[in-house]
Amino acid sequence: MKIGFYNDFKPCIVKENGVIDISSIVSELSISSPQHFMERIITSFSSLKDKLTNAMESATVIPFDDIQLRAPIPRPGKVLCGLANYKESVPITPARPLRTFFKSPDAVIGPGETIVLPYFRPTIFNHEAELVIVIGKEAKNVQESEALNYVFGYTTGVDVSARAPEDGEAALPGTADAMYGKSFDTFLPIGPSITTADEIDDPNNLQIRYWVNGELRQNYNTSDMEHSVAYMIGALSHVMTLKPGDLIMGGTNHSYLGPLQDGDHAEIEIESIGRNSNIVSDPLKRSWDPKDLRDPKDLIARRESQINKPNSGTWPFNSVGGNRR
Amino acid sequence: MKIGFYNDFKPCILTSEGIIDITDIVTDLDEGVPQLFMERIITSFSSLKDKLTNAMESATVIPFDNIQLRAPIPRPGKVLCGNTNYMEYVPITPARPLISFFKSPDAVIGPGDAIMLPEFRPTIFNHEAELVIVIGKEAKNVQESDALNYVFGYTTGVDVSARAPEEGEAALPGSYGKSFDTFLPIGPSITTADEIDDPNNLQIRYWVNGELRQNYNTSDMEHSVAYMIGALSHVMTLKPGDLIMGGTNHSYLGPLQDRDHAEIEIESIGRNSNIVSDPLKRSWDPNSLRDPKDLIARRESQKTQPHPGNWPFQKIGG
Repeated sequence: MKIGFYNDFKPCIVKENGVIDISSIVSELSISSPQHFMERIITSFSSLKDKLTNAMESATVIPFDDIQLRAPIPRPGKVLCGLANYKESVPITPARPLRTFFKSPDAVIGPGETIVLPYFRPTIFNHEAELVIVIGKEAKNVQESEALNYVFGYTTGVDVSARAPEDGEAALPGTADAMYGKSFDTFLPIGPSITTADEIDDPNNLQIRYWVNGELRQNYNTSDMEHSVAYMIGALSHVMTLKPGDLIMGGTNHSYLGPLQDGDHAEIEIESIGRNSNIVSDPLKRSWDPKDLRDPKDLIARRESQINKPNSGTWPFNSVGGNRR
Repeated sequence: MKIGFYNDFKPCILTSEGIIDITDIVTDLDEGVPQLFMERIITSFSSLKDKLTNAMESATVIPFDNIQLRAPIPRPGKVLCGNTNYMEYVPITPARPLISFFKSPDAVIGPGDAIMLPEFRPTIFNHEAELVIVIGKEAKNVQESDALNYVFGYTTGVDVSARAPEEGEAALPGSYGKSFDTFLPIGPSITTADEIDDPNNLQIRYWVNGELRQNYNTSDMEHSVAYMIGALSHVMTLKPGDLIMGGTNHSYLGPLQDRDHAEIEIESIGRNSNIVSDPLKRSWDPNSLRDPKDLIARRESQKTQPHPGNWPFQKIGG
């Protein structure tokens, strides 16, 4: 089932040809904050499922042309993002440590909304098309083998990224690890809806595609993740409790990353999950060469250079060379 | 005025002897989520103020002994923390860039709650006593001169910090040594901004088991409260109920360990205490504290280091 919001954050089921309004089914969960509304739908889902399934079969479908879909998770409690979490065609054993970072929950935008580039001048603004995991129940100290039980569903996301400052530009007020270049407002388009976990056989076997102005750029499979969805959930849940409505982003394969710039029309698609599009606006009208994309050969060279680098392992699952228990 | 929560997140005003329940005054703002409830109290505050002031003068005070205070901001939308944002007695001109980072909103605990040390083995767990700013209204692209108008109030906070892994321990899956659950004690309440003449002139003290450790003034901040709000608001919109933490003066930082009783006090804001619990019963020397001389040496060494300035307010050579 695909759950989302439309118009002024009315809850809906998303079908192939349009949406079914489910306000009457979930009205007792309604609350002034759309984020909390969706969190309540998520935590009540098992008791709602029969009614929602009935509605899918019998209720009126409102065509997409007559509505506007909204971000299905409007202001997540946490957004934890994978960093360089793809093997990019070069497996390394043992795996390099999982590294992740926080992204601002206020970066979220929904379908059709505009990515607005800030006045900050980086060398480039990149797209990173990614699988997004929506947490379904509180997860603390979860094992990798159990981790997928804590997933409510999946959506698409783009980790829009301002890279290092251009020559002569000052640094952002964040540490290198905080990656504020990824936390500007509007830098996290998600949607079009949440596909519930029962519809996804294996989150690590999904093709992700990303187009800019109709030209295919990213095109990779989540099977290439260095640390799987289950591993990420398990490891992160040992640091902080994951809660319903939190998001985890899987990271991206950097092959064919390119610029986002004024006037771009960008689209992401993940198989079984959906397709979402956004436009880009830059008040400064900067421009980059749209053909200048990240070459997979360079990524392979980077990964190969890491093969013999010492590796501290990742707490708590992969202690490498340690004396731990 | 001091606003907070008690027992099962009932809203209250704090007085010097106890609390006044304000449920009746704000009842139509309650939708069952404490964080959302406090955000709505914050954004409705100007229209509530007269009623709350009347209640302070006439309503029954419940003594502190009969209630349990709770975290006044139970799950902030964002927690943005200053990193090495104190001059530590060595001014540098131009100022070093402001650097800040996210802390997990689920690290928050309230008065009396336990800081639970995780199984992760760092070289040490440190306390960092800090001023906490509570945002009162949406702030985007705000100038430093205007920034304090976006503050609802202030509370105390401790940025509990697991340092680098001990020898043989693996790395955390991110810069998360400060984001373990329970690593952000705040409280006892929010002191509204009208009671604080200057947030950059407040004494902060921190005791562990009755021994004074940190004792410094926010006048030593390298980037002021107003600067932080302004600069951060140019990256991301700050929203009601978001927290900004000012950073700490590292002088006399020491270990937090099993059974410690720790207390923070900020003048005009309040005093908050927590206990520490460590299932692994690790121990560190409680008398081995960060020596201000080492901090001064570190700062002195930075005087001549080049730096790129700070977007958007301090562009250097740009």
